[in-house]
Amino acid sequence: MKKVSIDPITRLEGHGKIEIFLNDDGDVANAYLQIPELRGFEKFCEGRPVEEIPRIVPRICGV
Amino acid sequence: MAKLKLALYWAGACGGCDVAVLDVNEKILDVANLADIVFWPIALDFKYHHVEAMPDKSIDVCLFNGCVRSSEQEHIAKMLRAKSKVLVSFGSCACFGGIPALANFSTRAEIMERVYIEAPSNENPNKTLPQTKVKVAEGELTLPELFEDVLTLAQVVPVEYFVPGCPPTVDLILKVVNALATNSLPPVGAIIASDKTLCDECDRKKENKKITKIYRTQEIIPDPERCLLEQGLLCMGPATRGGCGALCVKVNIPCRGCFGPPPGVADQGAKLVSAIASIYEAKDEKDIARMVNEVVDPAGTFYRFGMSNSMLKRKRSQKR
Repeated sequence: MKKVSIDPITRLEGHGKIEIFLNDDGDVANAYLQIPELRGFEKFCEGRPVEEIPRIVPRICGV
Repeated sequence: MAKLKLALYWAGACGGCDVAVLDVNEKILDVANLADIVFWPIALDFKYHHVEAMPDKSIDVCLFNGCVRSSEQEHIAKMLRAKSKVLVSFGSCACFGGIPALANFSTRAEIMERVYIEAPSNENPNKTLPQTKVKVAEGELTLPELFEDVLTLAQVVPVEYFVPGCPPTVDLILKVVNALATNSLPPVGAIIASDKTLCDECDRKKENKKITKIYRTQEIIPDPERCLLEQGLLCMGPATRGGCGALCVKVNIPCRGCFGPPPGVADQGAKLVSAIASIYEAKDEKDIARMVNEVVDPAGTFYRFGMSNSMLKRKRSQKR
């Protein structure tokens, strides 16, 4: 099956790629959105003092 | 003069560095006069294969922000290194690891577990974790491999210049742009910021007073005129390079060190420990124990932006 990759997705905050699979007629059989990035705020905010969190989580998205 | 070719990229980042470039406001027109932007995912629709197709050293300057944490980010870092004459480590994440490097206090497995299985907003009964390769009905999908450690850009490829800051300030960005415009770049390896500490550019009064208690920021309202450290608030000023214009301390908030260590300091956290030790009134072991207890999250505070670049690099792993 033919595959069209859109990598990276642009003009948005963050990282993404789209894989589009085409069938024999050239029609879209299926498409997948993938996020090829992870920083792990859910984990590394644990144990930080609560008053520091407002200075850490803005870095989830700075746009 | 032919226009410069400029690339901007974000690896493990939040986009704040990219937005900081836009914060130069109308000066962005000067940048546009000076350079053609050939790659900038946040703003322009160039793909990785476009960059791949460029001849080596055909990009004049690449501003690379974000940490390197995955095989994809490493690959793009190496690709942009090869394609660029000048590679700039742009922002605290690229220079020191930044906030994402707080992940170096956990293992990759702990992060995966928390993010994809434990987090209360998840519904993942099969406990599926991201895989580098997955077979689907139509074919195969791939994802980059997540590294065990968060790395700086310079830990992966050689870098010509460093522009620290979370994000770099407009003044520093314009300094870089002007240096490019006038072809007056500093010697390779230069850190484009102040050569002094934040304390040197902070105009708060220092009275060389000893402190007897370390406060958390919500416990006191600090005097806006006096040194925050001398009022018992943990301020990274003595262990941090200046160049930010003292933005945080000007609004009565202690510095967290996003400009990294000052010249001559190998380890930012160790430098702050030394600064606190010299200011804390400790007469005996009991006082010292009290001081240690008053610092709620020493590693996460002293290495808030600098874990990758520190001597620690990461939390020592248990036997694996």
